[in-house]
Amino acid sequence: MSAALPDETGDAIHLDRIVKRFDGALALNHASLRVRRGTVHGLVGQNGAGKSTLIKLLAGLHQPDEGRIEIDGQAYDRLTPHRVEELGIHFIHQDRLLVPTFTVGEALFLGREPRITGTPFLDRRLMQRRASEILDDYFGVKLPNSALISELSTAEKQIVQITRALLDQPKVLVFDEPTAALVRREADILFRLIRRLRDEGVTIIYISHYLNEIEELCDTVTILRNGEDVATLPLGETSAAAIARLMVARDIADMFPKRSVTLGKDILSLDHLSSHGKYQDISLTLRRGEVLGLTGLLGSGAKDLIRTLFGLETATSGQIEIDGQPARSANPAQAVDRHLALVPEDRRGNGVALDLSVTENITLSSLKRFTRLGFLDFNGERSEADDLIRRLEIKASGRNALVRTLSGGNQQKVAIAKWLSRHSEVYLLDEPTVGVDIGSKVEIYNLIGDLAARGAGIIVLSSDLAELIGITDRILVLFRGSIIREFVSSRTSPDDVLAASTGSSEVLRHVG
Amino acid sequence: MSVDIQLAPVIHFEPGAQSFKPSRGGNLAASALRAGSLLAFVAILFVFSLTAPYFLSVGNIGNVLGQSAISGILAIGLTVVLIAGGSNVVTGGIDLSLAANMGLSAAVYATTVQLGYGDAAAVAAALVTGFLIGVVNAAAVVGAGIVPLLATLAVMNIVAGLELVLTQNTVIPASTPLLTALSSSGPLGIPALAYVLLVFTLIAAAIVQYTPAGLRLYAVGEFPDAARAAGLPVRRLVASAFIASGLCGGFAGVLSVSNLSGSTTGSGEMLLPVVVTALLGSVFSRRLVPTVIGTLLSTLFVGFLVNGFQLLNISSVLVSGVQGLLILLVVSATTLLRRQEA
Amino acid sequence: MTLQTSATAPSIPRAVIGVIVNNALVLALITVFAIFSLASPTFLTIANLQSILVNNFTLLAIVAIAMTFAVSVGGIDLSVGTAVDFASFAFVSLVLAGQPVAVAALAGLGAGAAVGAFNAVLISGIGISPFLATLGTLFIGRSIQQLLTNGGNPVYLPPSGIPEAFRFLGRGAIAGIPVPLILAAITILGATVILTRARFGRVALAIGIQTSVVRYSGIAARAHVAVAFILAGLIAAVAGLILSATVTVYIPSSGSAFLLNAIGATFIGTTLSRLGRPNIPGTVLGVLLLGIVANGLLLTGLNFYWQQVGTGLLIFAVLALSFITRRKASA
Repeated sequence: MSAALPDETGDAIHLDRIVKRFDGALALNHASLRVRRGTVHGLVGQNGAGKSTLIKLLAGLHQPDEGRIEIDGQAYDRLTPHRVEELGIHFIHQDRLLVPTFTVGEALFLGREPRITGTPFLDRRLMQRRASEILDDYFGVKLPNSALISELSTAEKQIVQITRALLDQPKVLVFDEPTAALVRREADILFRLIRRLRDEGVTIIYISHYLNEIEELCDTVTILRNGEDVATLPLGETSAAAIARLMVARDIADMFPKRSVTLGKDILSLDHLSSHGKYQDISLTLRRGEVLGLTGLLGSGAKDLIRTLFGLETATSGQIEIDGQPARSANPAQAVDRHLALVPEDRRGNGVALDLSVTENITLSSLKRFTRLGFLDFNGERSEADDLIRRLEIKASGRNALVRTLSGGNQQKVAIAKWLSRHSEVYLLDEPTVGVDIGSKVEIYNLIGDLAARGAGIIVLSSDLAELIGITDRILVLFRGSIIREFVSSRTSPDDVLAASTGSSEVLRHVG
Repeated sequence: MSVDIQLAPVIHFEPGAQSFKPSRGGNLAASALRAGSLLAFVAILFVFSLTAPYFLSVGNIGNVLGQSAISGILAIGLTVVLIAGGSNVVTGGIDLSLAANMGLSAAVYATTVQLGYGDAAAVAAALVTGFLIGVVNAAAVVGAGIVPLLATLAVMNIVAGLELVLTQNTVIPASTPLLTALSSSGPLGIPALAYVLLVFTLIAAAIVQYTPAGLRLYAVGEFPDAARAAGLPVRRLVASAFIASGLCGGFAGVLSVSNLSGSTTGSGEMLLPVVVTALLGSVFSRRLVPTVIGTLLSTLFVGFLVNGFQLLNISSVLVSGVQGLLILLVVSATTLLRRQEA
Repeated sequence: MTLQTSATAPSIPRAVIGVIVNNALVLALITVFAIFSLASPTFLTIANLQSILVNNFTLLAIVAIAMTFAVSVGGIDLSVGTAVDFASFAFVSLVLAGQPVAVAALAGLGAGAAVGAFNAVLISGIGISPFLATLGTLFIGRSIQQLLTNGGNPVYLPPSGIPEAFRFLGRGAIAGIPVPLILAAITILGATVILTRARFGRVALAIGIQTSVVRYSGIAARAHVAVAFILAGLIAAVAGLILSATVTVYIPSSGSAFLLNAIGATFIGTTLSRLGRPNIPGTVLGVLLLGIVANGLLLTGLNFYWQQVGTGLLIFAVLALSFITRRKASA
């Protein structure tokens, strides 16, 4: 590996005061990232802080609206993914870009296939041999030559993808949440590999939610918050606890319009609910008028729990009751009939139909109410849509505008309006403000408060902890499939919740 | 290749922990499906050979190969498009113009011969015809961005029309040394067309299954994002698949003239059987993807079926039903297996 | 984060493109109509226009509407021709066996719906993609017809034994309007109402646009897909009844002649509509476009075989233009 000459110093990457807007919403606000050659540089921030935008800019997938990108001291105007790769910068993505029906050797060498000397034919044997050599050498992993990518475990796929990048002798490797799907032992192997690569002169950018990993692995860390880089610190002088504090904004606390609602009777209760390999023994109750927060890292089981309630997954054991009636739903249709509502995280995929109009989206779930003898009552639909557009202050060119033309925040309001029209009573909101501008966020918080005041039960799943504390009454933290902590929102801080969800409570206690 | 990562092995999992677990459901199910299909193939051969002793003679096998040559080559052309277009037939790879392409190329060949040109010129004319049709398809799909199903449907109409214009819906007789050679018998008394099919399959398989370009076609079809991430020219590869398919149509056109001693109409009838044959071929591959050899096997499967029915005096109309049932069985099995895995 | 370019102020060329995109089909139809009116003196006569409707429009329109239902839920139905054939077979055979025409017609409709139901089981029940499922049905249907007819012999009704009601269905007229045309009009009207006014139509279109949202809204998407395919079979059966009543014979696998044109008309109507959604008026205009071109080319004295080339070129041009302008408009 010939990455950098030993005497060479300076920055491998310098993103300088980058500004990036999406549909008018500010994703990056003069954010900078300066990575020194031959170091492991951590990048942390809550969801929506701008990490992925920053990385996509570096990858040449987006272009900045303002600011400079310097690589090896040279400024680049328009980066393309291809150019970035030529410059020796490689990305290990969360979504593994490997062809499922390829063998490991084929996946590793796609695009630079070795040929049998003097022929136009693939040297499959060499591919297999090199593949097993490299995998064995770097990871001590032995995979049979015939193994297809689709047959590998998530960790094995990850290893193959890292190896693919290594074949290009990268100067900079960017890891995006690489351990999210790995067990501890596999993660340890990855860490040792990363250190070894650094010692060979490769520059590493490491993005993770697990602060203990950052603490363990990185030389320097940059903390992003609300699209700005709030600090860049050497790890020797900081701790996971200090990083956690920096990640969470405090100045926006007053944007949460907290209102007190008298809690009614139980509306939803889970009794020892388990799903094999996803979550275990979850018991909780939700009362009318209550806003319950749920949080946990990727793989904590929080998302699966929400999906189970809505009939998208099935639990292996345990009970769900709504208003005292058994309510384990086999499909979303059953769940919706039980007055459950899900506002999914993937808004544009599952929440709203982009090419249907605002009206068509709003009444999609409640069409039965607007049907007379099988035929649609257009007037009823129109007045319902107008009513909800007004109540939720949905900004659209009209009720017939395609939802595609709306901003993220207004799309989300449409997704919620659909359930208001259905008269739902238990709302499951999965990351309700991801990709939503600040103004719309506050409006959505208000809306959640309104719903609670009208006697609905609400579960908010969010990794934005300030938001979670601001709008909920209680917070349950899931870690590796179990509820490990419960907080009363008015008596906790984002640091505590973050510490609990990253499993680094002990660290915090030591630091004080 | 400069893959020189020469570092001392450092880290190892504890023994046993990393060993690959072969008990993965998907693999097993796929193997079962493939084994089942092959078994069905063999069983059918066996049953026919019991009831019709002549069935498994060299002569008859040669006949089947010869009779399957044209549809086999068309199906292989389609296979290339299926590989590069992916498994979704509506939005992905399909070439509905193949059969019409064969018809027009045959007509061009026969007409060129009628005009007094020799074999070389006529073959070149037929291949150029096929090539141009492929280029139009490629331009429509890659350039204009029309979904392949619609693009090739429109091209099919144009090509079929041009064939009618050229032939005035009549048979154009043609007789050349090449045609005589193609319709004669080769070594072992097996039709020359049988050898043509085998050689063509070998060449196609060598290119598709054993060159980097072939591997890249699979990547483009199955996971375009991965192909793009690997820096592959996705659009160019898809275009070349359509052009290859067009060339196959041109080649099949020449063969069809030899088979019928002239260009005849009605080539469009072959379209859907060829589509089914190519789609069925994927069950004969380990990874359940379209392959050249799989398509050959599937072509022969159908060929033997027709032949066996003829020998047993069963109406060959059952063949299309059997094909239909097979495709439904195969696809149901894969769908259900996948659902179980998920 | 998504890569969506912010909307820019519409410039003049963009506005022009917008008008063309939104009214492409009507514009194409007017253009073609004008060209043939100028090119051939006989084109713009009542007799010829009626001939277009009777010969080039009726049956294809009904089959294309059947196709439109399959396409509306994001699918495709390659077996519409099979449903036409099965309906025709049941109808002719039962009339031949001396059953009342009404009973035979109902049986015909049932046979078509059965083909649709078979598709529905494959698609909604097992989860096979509509293209492959209906392709299988097409092949099996072909064999079944051959078996039923001793290897593909047509089933003729003897001229003496044709009931009056049967004849009326194929060649009769009410107030001078041919019965098949009236049936086509009813089908068009009914289908339009179902697709735009009924709850089913709304859900079907939503499924075609974004299935997962429909599912996440608590609607049984699969059931709606099943109904769409059964409807497709049922509607195609209407064409089967008219076809056999017109020619007084059932010819095995003759319905497959409609397949490619039905696909063409449906997708022309879909891609050239303002919202890009499958819609009955669009399909009908698509059929009309194909019919006018076929008829017009015939009248201009162009070689019969050039007609097919012309039709193909026209469809190709329309598709290419629409896909390219759409790409420009969304860029």
